[in-house]
Amino acid sequence: MTTATSHAESPGLWVLAWRRFRHDRVGLVSFDIVLFFVALMAASWTGLIASDWAREVGVSNAPPTFTGPKVASARLEHAAAPEPLRRDKSDESAAVDPLAGVLAEIRASRPPAAADTEIVDPLADVLAEIRGRSGSASADETRAATLIFGGDKWGRDVLKKTIKGTETSMFVGLAAAALAALLGTVFGALAGYYGRWIDDFFNWFYSVFTSIPYLLLILSIAAVLNQKGTMTVILILGLTGWTGIFRLIRAEYMKHKVREYVQAADAIGASHMRRMFVHIFPNVSHVVLVQLSLHVVLFIKSEVVLSFLGFGVGVDTVSWGSMLNEAQTELLLGNWWQLAAATAAMAMLVTAFGLLTDAWRDALDPKLK
Amino acid sequence: MNRRSLGSAAVSALIALTLHAGSHAADPAKTLRVTFQVAETGFDPTRTSDYYSGQVIEAIFDRLLTYDYLARPAKLVPSAAESLPQVTDNGKTYTFKVRKGIYFTPDPAFKGKRRELTAEDYAYSIKRFFDPRNRSPYTFLYEGKIVGLDELGAQARKTGRFDYDAKVAGLEVPDRYTLRIHLREPDYGFPHIIAFDLSGAVAREVIEAYGEDTSAHPVGTGPYRLKQYTRSSKIILEANPDYRGMVWDFQPGDDPLDREIAAQMKGKKLPVIGNVEISIMEETQSRWLAFEKGETDMEYQLWDLSPTFMAEDGRLRPQFAKRGIKLGRSVDPEITYAYFNMLDKIGDQPNPVGGYSREKIALRRAIAMAYKVDDQIRIIRKGQSIKAEYPIPPGIAGHDPNYRSSIPYDPKTANALLDRFGYRKGTDGYRTLPDGKPLLIRYSSTPSEVARQFDELMKRSLDSIGIRLEIHKDRFPDLIKLERRCRLMMRGAAWIADTPDGDNFMQLLYGPNTFQSNNACYKSPAFDKLYEQSRAMPDGPERNRLYRQMTRQMEADTPWIMIDSRYRNVLMQPYVIGFKKHPVLHQEWMYIDFEPKAKR
Repeated sequence: MTTATSHAESPGLWVLAWRRFRHDRVGLVSFDIVLFFVALMAASWTGLIASDWAREVGVSNAPPTFTGPKVASARLEHAAAPEPLRRDKSDESAAVDPLAGVLAEIRASRPPAAADTEIVDPLADVLAEIRGRSGSASADETRAATLIFGGDKWGRDVLKKTIKGTETSMFVGLAAAALAALLGTVFGALAGYYGRWIDDFFNWFYSVFTSIPYLLLILSIAAVLNQKGTMTVILILGLTGWTGIFRLIRAEYMKHKVREYVQAADAIGASHMRRMFVHIFPNVSHVVLVQLSLHVVLFIKSEVVLSFLGFGVGVDTVSWGSMLNEAQTELLLGNWWQLAAATAAMAMLVTAFGLLTDAWRDALDPKLK
Repeated sequence: MNRRSLGSAAVSALIALTLHAGSHAADPAKTLRVTFQVAETGFDPTRTSDYYSGQVIEAIFDRLLTYDYLARPAKLVPSAAESLPQVTDNGKTYTFKVRKGIYFTPDPAFKGKRRELTAEDYAYSIKRFFDPRNRSPYTFLYEGKIVGLDELGAQARKTGRFDYDAKVAGLEVPDRYTLRIHLREPDYGFPHIIAFDLSGAVAREVIEAYGEDTSAHPVGTGPYRLKQYTRSSKIILEANPDYRGMVWDFQPGDDPLDREIAAQMKGKKLPVIGNVEISIMEETQSRWLAFEKGETDMEYQLWDLSPTFMAEDGRLRPQFAKRGIKLGRSVDPEITYAYFNMLDKIGDQPNPVGGYSREKIALRRAIAMAYKVDDQIRIIRKGQSIKAEYPIPPGIAGHDPNYRSSIPYDPKTANALLDRFGYRKGTDGYRTLPDGKPLLIRYSSTPSEVARQFDELMKRSLDSIGIRLEIHKDRFPDLIKLERRCRLMMRGAAWIADTPDGDNFMQLLYGPNTFQSNNACYKSPAFDKLYEQSRAMPDGPERNRLYRQMTRQMEADTPWIMIDSRYRNVLMQPYVIGFKKHPVLHQEWMYIDFEPKAKR
């Protein structure tokens, strides 16, 4: 080491890391993509975009605009209307509906036959009044034959659904990762710093959690909470995901607690809490940050799996997982757009987040100077 | 019931039998390959209730009566009985004569002796429904019907042991081949219960020899016997060589398909198919691929995929029709409905949808009017169901094809109705109860993708009238447990006919069946009175008039939203002949055949 001629203040860990990160082009692009998704999430949350995702604007399973409308879709729309079944002898398919006659009869709607019954409807007067007042004008809303990126089976816009799904999935990923990181850090700090029976206790707790296969653990916690919804998913993932972070932080604290600077802090009378969280924590925080972003990716994927297994978000929420789940049977019928949209969004975010985490780790690792 | 034609069918079957007696026809080279979408639960008739196990049970055990293969509506014919029962006492006493010379398939439990089927076996099999150790989910079939049997069951629940040797006044066996059943009340539907597939005869020795493992050791007198069994994976049946046999001789009806089948099958000794191989395949896609590749011979459990092989009008798509694949299409004798819990309270919580005051009826009526049945049929069912207007589905005695529900889809009127009864909309667009308290409907369903589609539809329907919906998820058996205690607020349910009689559906709304099959816990004195009258009546215009009144009463109280009845689309490989879906029988394996030059 050479003696420094200038006494300029040496840059701190974060400044150094930022400098290194600036030169990582892949990292920067990933960072932009993640920022874009975060912005999307914020905009969707505040209701700036996609707040009307649940509106049914297109026909059922409306295809994307660039593929053009489905020929059969017009027929589908009128399938419910009574139409006499024809027996076309020239047609190859000889399977004639044996019930055709009966069905035609059933479908030809007739007014309710009230003649042979003397049952009194308690609401008869009110209903007669309402019906007399309003008439029977049923204004059929017009629905688009195609949508920009297609529609789902109820005719909702897949693009808006994907944006709304991004909000849910990212929120779940971020919140669950924050919860897991919080638990992992606090437990790891306590165990690593105090050692002895406290360490034993947390290690025992940790072993119990890790001895159960991950998916089983998730399913059993889901069964215990016995409730569906975004909060439940966050709790499930947060409560099961802290173990890895705990191991790492515990090791870091064991390493740091015997260092001179901690002993110095002890000497000037800093309390245990102060030593743990004011003195040691800043020196291990980069580990937490990297773990946090790794877990965001993991949890976004886990949410998809949970929703796929039917333990995911509730019926009035949409997430990538619930979209993929819906897309299963749709795909076999040739309606690929919902699957494509959800998969593309997820693949993009997960890849970008993964690369970003890599870049952060490189930037923050002091050994890679 | 048309008695004359019943008798003639029996006679002609008998003549045919004597003509061909002795010629053993089941062809061991013919193996029918089919699938179950759900694993079987076991083959003990008193211990199961699922449709799939029922199919196997129907093939292995013999009932006293069965149904004519082609007659529609379903018509009873004798099976192990010599003839239809003799009915005396105005429908209170039924006398059956068991056919002589029917033997159980050999089993170690018989210690090498040939064991003949007797009337005592049938009495024993009925008694087993009341043995608390069997925990039968189908006790209700016989509950409250046979003189003295319920008392014996109650006594067994007290002592923990069912006394099979005790005399039951209602189950009389005057000689080896005669069974006389005395009912408490006249019941013209009773023969249908005797024909139900869980009423087949088991042998007491076998049941006692296998103890708790009877579900894996079915020993019967029916057309098939169990050859190989791997739980939840593969079930192989082979034709029972000792089966008394029967000859295909059914009267074709007006349906052109009937004549075609008759031409192909007449005079063949049944069963023709030597083996039935059942694979459990849970995924729709796997079942479809297996059929498409020719690895299975028949397949009907393909609801979600129907647009891939058929058009909306019920025709096979040309590429499959060209290959000669056949499609058998019929409406299942089932109804699906969503029920409201009609009690004032659920547990100790107030129930917003329960009760019989006008404002509660208005709320239920509005929900029923807002339910998007057409969307369910078009989008979820992919056009493969028809709207249910009447609680009794087509093909079941008492069905009225001209009946129209008085509750049409009409969200506009529904909204006006709610406004009128003071369910005001708050600032968030959702309505409150007339007293200003929040209104929240709790709809229960299972955590599966299919259920989610129905949740979404219910949510969309209720959103259209500004009612807030909450979804409650639980496993199916847990939901059923809660339902039996009237603890659910609302759920979508389905009922498929056990017997081809309207009573089997109307009993779902009968007050005293609360905590059993009446899952809405609906109790209307007017309905119950009509129902009790209908029960003492044979099928006919008089009873149908009562059924119509009961339906109007149900609509007036609105405990149910009537939804739909599904199509059953059976795909068959080109060489399968003789198939026509029977409305009550669970399977038709013994009635079909393969074309001679079948490529296998």
